[in-house]
Amino acid sequence: MGTLYCLMSLGVNFIYGIMKVINWAMGEFFMIGAYVQYLLIVFFLGVRYWYIGVFIAALSTFFLGAFVQKILIKPMFIGIVEEKTEYATIVTIAMAILFRNLAIFIGGPYIYTPPDYAPPTRIGPLPLSGNNFIAFIGTIAILAFFFYFLKRTWIGKAFQAVSQNRTGVLTAGIDVLKFDMIAFGIGTALAGAGGALLAPVLLVHPLCGVIPTVRGFEIIVIGGLGSIPGVFIAGLSLGIAESLGAAFINPSFIDIYGFGLLMFILLIKPYGLFGKPERSV
Amino acid sequence: MPKLRLNYFGPLFFLLIAMILPFFLADYWIYSLTITLYYVVMAVTWNLLGGYTGQFSLSHHTFAVIGSYTSALLIIKTGVPLWMGMVSSWMFNAIISVLLGILCLRMRGIYLALTTWAFAEIVKTYIRMDFEFTGGDRGLKTLLFFKTMNPLPYYYLFLAFAVLTIIVIAIIMRSRIGYYLRAIRNDEVAAQAMGVDIVRWKVFAFMVASVFASMAGTLYGHFTGLISPVSGEFYEMALIIIFVVIGGMRSQTGPVVGAVSVRFLAEVLKKWPEVRMVILASIVILIMRFFNGGLIEFLRKVFQRIRQRKSSEPVSAYSKIE
Repeated sequence: MGTLYCLMSLGVNFIYGIMKVINWAMGEFFMIGAYVQYLLIVFFLGVRYWYIGVFIAALSTFFLGAFVQKILIKPMFIGIVEEKTEYATIVTIAMAILFRNLAIFIGGPYIYTPPDYAPPTRIGPLPLSGNNFIAFIGTIAILAFFFYFLKRTWIGKAFQAVSQNRTGVLTAGIDVLKFDMIAFGIGTALAGAGGALLAPVLLVHPLCGVIPTVRGFEIIVIGGLGSIPGVFIAGLSLGIAESLGAAFINPSFIDIYGFGLLMFILLIKPYGLFGKPERSV
Repeated sequence: MPKLRLNYFGPLFFLLIAMILPFFLADYWIYSLTITLYYVVMAVTWNLLGGYTGQFSLSHHTFAVIGSYTSALLIIKTGVPLWMGMVSSWMFNAIISVLLGILCLRMRGIYLALTTWAFAEIVKTYIRMDFEFTGGDRGLKTLLFFKTMNPLPYYYLFLAFAVLTIIVIAIIMRSRIGYYLRAIRNDEVAAQAMGVDIVRWKVFAFMVASVFASMAGTLYGHFTGLISPVSGEFYEMALIIIFVVIGGMRSQTGPVVGAVSVRFLAEVLKKWPEVRMVILASIVILIMRFFNGGLIEFLRKVFQRIRQRKSSEPVSAYSKIE
């Protein structure tokens, strides 16, 4: 189950790595992805083409994220803002509230249930819900694509360079501000794709992004801010901690064990498993 | 001891208005004003943390919820008197906030926000889930402070408490500690180099803000008579941030002005709750984007312009520096 939240934390981490900004409205992009997917498969495409829906949902959240970055986050780097963390935090929190209430305003406070992507399946002796299985496979596919993009293509390498040194890459002819915009778009598109994939599992309603975001942030703190391998280890250990807690202590407090793990990790390794202490400039 | 340089006239004038106001209003508006005063306390104390110190706590409302639940549960389950329940819940909150602060204030910047955000959601979920103990979504009946539903005595209680909070925060900000906190916000490394024990003072600010939040929470719990996990929603935290940003961050009067004016707007628009949140969120984004100072800075500029026109002499730049 931990893998399913990886998309979210990967998106947050990617944006943080490039711009040193936490996007608090990530859950809302997740929610928008889920709504777009619901509209598409109910009114236009039908359930059979759910994968096209995921693609379109990711694309639309990409453009929305890039647009938001262009009008709101970009001015941060041009020089009108003195305190960057504060500005970004407040603006993205306000954005989260805005999107949430717009969703209630437009769609009403109802829970929409999209049709199942796949019937329940069995792998060997293991019975599986088809939706969970599809979400798992889809997540793996998107992650593989993302890593291919990041490690093998020129643009992906440019992103790595931007996250290492923002001033240095200017000399290599990389337009940092443009790359910021694309990075923000990619981060939100990951969340949107996650929302589209998990729509039949978590259902579609204005607050459906909250629980994935909590898990996503817990994963990030456990794994260390800005660390991509940390995301996977932390996602896995969070999933294990939750299952163990549910099995041995009490299944109704499943959300609390992850937080306990987070506290424990903060106690022994303050910067997370793979994080490095930051130098402020 | 530094001299307290306060302009006494203006605040006293508004205090006087606030004291005679209830005699001209219906019970509903007194009730609403009392809740406004609760938000004033929350906004002012969050401003100490998020505004002056630059540490983003996103669990300010959660401390109020923990405070109200601890007090109510202690009174219900063990039968202690009301004051004891309240005081022990404040102490409990102080301990929690110090532990949380020590864990995540050692690092720079954003870790506190991430951890407190998760903390807030977890506490809310716990209260929902453990319904046999906390009452869950049905809420929990609490003991009333004055044994009556008439809002008038509560109004004065909250007014006194809000004034106390504002004075305490003003004293802190004018003392040595206030300079430490501002130094930490401006540049942590430089502050450390000047010999400020940054972790200690950050934890101190976190503790003060959280304890005041829990005090407000206990009073609120014993005023409404019914507490529920709804007040632990993220919406409440967003409201507090909206109050502070619209009023003006990093000013003594800003959060007060923001809380009162936004609450008034919210009362006017209460038939359309989504529209009102959309409007408020857009205002916050616009303020952060174009006019970083909020309502109080705006008023100051308007007054400056008027004064300038009257005396037609340039206003000295020093008047802007506090």
